[in-house]
Amino acid sequence: MSEETMSQVNSLPRIGSKAPNFEATTTHGTLQLSDYEGSWVILFSHPADFTPVCTSEFISFQNIYPKLREMNTELLGLSVDSVSSHIAWVRNVKEKFGVEIEFPIIADLNKEVAEKYGMIMPEESSTETSRAVFIIDGQRTVRAIIYYPLSTGRNMDEILRVITALQATDEHNIATPADWKKGDKVIVPPANTAEMAEERVNDDSVECIDWYYCQKEI
Amino acid sequence: MACVDDKGQLTASARKLLETIENNALTPEEIAKEAALPLFKVRSSMRDMKSMGFVTEEENGAYQMNPEASKLLKK
Repeated sequence: MSEETMSQVNSLPRIGSKAPNFEATTTHGTLQLSDYEGSWVILFSHPADFTPVCTSEFISFQNIYPKLREMNTELLGLSVDSVSSHIAWVRNVKEKFGVEIEFPIIADLNKEVAEKYGMIMPEESSTETSRAVFIIDGQRTVRAIIYYPLSTGRNMDEILRVITALQATDEHNIATPADWKKGDKVIVPPANTAEMAEERVNDDSVECIDWYYCQKEI
Repeated sequence: MACVDDKGQLTASARKLLETIENNALTPEEIAKEAALPLFKVRSSMRDMKSMGFVTEEENGAYQMNPEASKLLKK
């Protein structure tokens, strides 16, 4: 791998890093990522317009969009297609499936945003973006990254679950266990001193299996 | 530009935004609330309209309609 390629790989966004800003042509005009500051945004890529798995995903993304907006979260799609292709596809989805896609889609013909975010997996396809999902918070920090291959459509319940969990973490300073969903008990951050561990096991407001594994309701 | 069509007339969303600031300078947050539009859409559209000279941006980030732009609202 050349030094230049290595440096590009090293500069890809990571969880906790600032999401790189960009200006891009979309189905809603020219948008910058910074236009979303103050709200969460799910930046996601799809391989190509007018393909079946992507069409099913867009319908599903649109189905969760009202719920996401209640959670101060916006959707921003992307593929290496032209804005005319996106418009034609969105109109086709409305005509054939009765679903109006309300969120913007980036026309990333020069792959500028896709390369900045590492959305292309050359071993799978060098011309299409994979199914990448970047969850970015209101301060433009990358909070979660999920990748799916071309053949596998994404799970909207999981995307909603991750957003819900991250927002609960921010609000209550907690973590969430495996398969957590809203209403379940949450994990209290482990004690990091012996004194705190002792206090924790005697704390009636939390349920502890042991000092390092305590849960509570929120 | 997303705020005018091929005939040089305002798009529906651009018209709505300009009407919102017709009498008062407002910040993008205030415009979004008033016009019931997503904040990202307001920010990008106002930037677009500023580049076309339809609006000016004040020091506090509020947008004011350029008097010349009021002619577009009457079209």
